[in-house]
Amino acid sequence: MPTIGLPKALFYYQHSVLWENFFQNLGCRVVVSSDTNKQILDSGVTLCSSETCLPVKVFHGHVHSLMNRADYIFVPRYTSVRKDEFTCPKFCALPEVTLINLKKQVKLLTIDINANSSQKNMCISLREMARELKLNFEFAVKEFKDAFDKHANHADGIAGRLGSYSASGEREPSIAVLGHPYMIFDEYINMKLIKKLRSRKLAVYFPSSLNYSQIRENAFPYQGRVFWEAGLDNLGSAFTFARYKNIRGIIYLTPFACGVDSFVTELIERRIRHISSMPFIKLTIDEHSGEAGFDTRVEAFLDMVGRT
Amino acid sequence: MKVTFPHMGSLYIAIKVLLDTLNVEYVVPPFSINSLEAGIMNSPEFACLPFKLTLGNFISAIEQGADTVLFGGGCGQCRFGYYSDLHEEILRSMGYNARFICVNSSNMTPREVIQKLKPLAEGRKSRVILKSVLHAVRTILALDRLNGLACHIRCREAARGSTDKVMKEFHSSIERIKGFKAVAELVRSTRNKLRSIELNKVCSPLKIAIVGEIYTCTDPYINQEIERRLGNMGVDVDNKQTISRWVVDHGIKKLFPFEIKNKAHEAGKKYINTDDIGGHGLQTIGNCILSAKAKYDGAIQIYPFTCMPEIIAQNTFGEIQKDYGIPVLTLIIDEMTGEAGYMTRVEAFVDMLERKRKLNPLKKQHMAY
Ligand code: SF4
Ligand code: SF4
Repeated sequence: MPTIGLPKALFYYQHSVLWENFFQNLGCRVVVSSDTNKQILDSGVTLCSSETCLPVKVFHGHVHSLMNRADYIFVPRYTSVRKDEFTCPKFCALPEVTLINLKKQVKLLTIDINANSSQKNMCISLREMARELKLNFEFAVKEFKDAFDKHANHADGIAGRLGSYSASGEREPSIAVLGHPYMIFDEYINMKLIKKLRSRKLAVYFPSSLNYSQIRENAFPYQGRVFWEAGLDNLGSAFTFARYKNIRGIIYLTPFACGVDSFVTELIERRIRHISSMPFIKLTIDEHSGEAGFDTRVEAFLDMVGRT
Repeated sequence: MKVTFPHMGSLYIAIKVLLDTLNVEYVVPPFSINSLEAGIMNSPEFACLPFKLTLGNFISAIEQGADTVLFGGGCGQCRFGYYSDLHEEILRSMGYNARFICVNSSNMTPREVIQKLKPLAEGRKSRVILKSVLHAVRTILALDRLNGLACHIRCREAARGSTDKVMKEFHSSIERIKGFKAVAELVRSTRNKLRSIELNKVCSPLKIAIVGEIYTCTDPYINQEIERRLGNMGVDVDNKQTISRWVVDHGIKKLFPFEIKNKAHEAGKKYINTDDIGGHGLQTIGNCILSAKAKYDGAIQIYPFTCMPEIIAQNTFGEIQKDYGIPVLTLIIDEMTGEAGYMTRVEAFVDMLERKRKLNPLKKQHMAY
């Protein structure tokens, strides 16, 4: 059976369990790219146009690093993961854009994920994949369902493993870190922010520490309406965490020029004042960000919240 | 009640006609540097430029007494659907209280439009509202057609500047007049003036398509009058992203009980195989392909900095150029776009196309008509 490369970027942080299991169940060998490092980032930067956002550049770097290690590289097309919730437009075009930017030197496998339309497209894409891998379609569907169940019981892959929040039990001083999963859980991109916070004896919470219904209830002003999935997660989390006493401050990590975050952070900044006096800071990261400058800003923020 | 609305190319003239017919008071947002700056200053840094411009429009208009904002909304992947909520939030925290009336622009059925306009029309009958909408639609169609005619004539005129003179007169008169009849009359007389301009019989101008994000493609202030400038370089410009086409896609086509697909959108799927990537991303790709097939010499893509669907579209141009041989120039506009660099790139592009045409004179025959 062929070897499938999974880039450790973008969707991987939430759906690693799903895809790793799926391909293993199909009998494929799975290789995951290594953690983001300088080489990966640099090759991503050279492969993409300069207008591209940092996480998509990093994604390209990961794909590139897998090129000689796998027969196929898996690049799904996420359009919508939940009803009425959309992903960023860049996710919808990821397979094609990746192929073009890598000069068609790789073979991709893709699946369409669109919870907002009929299952038809997803089935078509799954059928195509099965054909490419010379597998039986029904078998692929069954294994997909199995893998999906495992994923569902496993709470959001990597993002889920990092602890959940229970409002009553926790007393220790904490910081909430918001942003896209591929920003806050990628140690290289986030400049080891999580480790740094923990080494200062601060507990750290993420959108994935809260449960879904709680987040959606507080996702002003978009509750119940069509919005970006990541946007709702972060809006809801910000306004939920803003009420928690042991949380000292909220840090929002955003990549330079991210369209989704530009709206979400603005809504949070304008709104959060009405809810509580929770300190909020937005930290922008791009490929030129230096760790020293970043640390200074984090330190300054922590000093400020330490005093309040 | 005093209504205001976004400026955006010639859209404001159509909305003026709409409100004139309904007999509602309004403030046309002043288009000034101050308004632009207010919009930029109060917007998130990485919001797309149309967001900042419309916010600037609203701030200035509210300062001049407007209390209601007429705007579009919708849903989907792109930021446009979320504009009005963030506009409202920003205006509120600046201490302005304006009511937003948002027509759902992803699905403009007559019922939806009438219902949304009801509160504006203060008790006037649905029939009157429908009439005002029809007037507005006819206005925008007529304006875009007039503009298309101007583009056609400008590059072929015998004496440079004749078209500009007529259009300049038109733009200064349109500011002063009110109501559908007057606008229609002005359009008619301008059309006649344009038609009487003497043309250069033997020219076969370069043909360039304008594609990209709709606000930057249609607003001459933002795109630094690209249509006019190209025309004066002797280029026949075909703006693919006009407001008319948008109205036809989102309004008029919805009147039919069956789905009429947008050709460009469908063509774009050749390179990005999915239903939608937000905004007009797929249309941009498709329009480049269709323009190549129609033997255009080139295409110019215009979009605001950070615009997500257009960035995706831009990624495919290398492939399109390879497959169809159409050169595409991308112009990204932000609030600091300097005039010099921008026009130099456009001029260089036109030069390149001219050289290309000379090397390949066969193409000329297709162009002469
Ligand atoms: S959400 Fe932002 S960071 Fe993520 S792909 Fe889209 S633009 Fe890039
Ligand atoms: S299409 Fe571009 S400019 Fe328009 S809302 Fe979307 S991102 Fe902004």
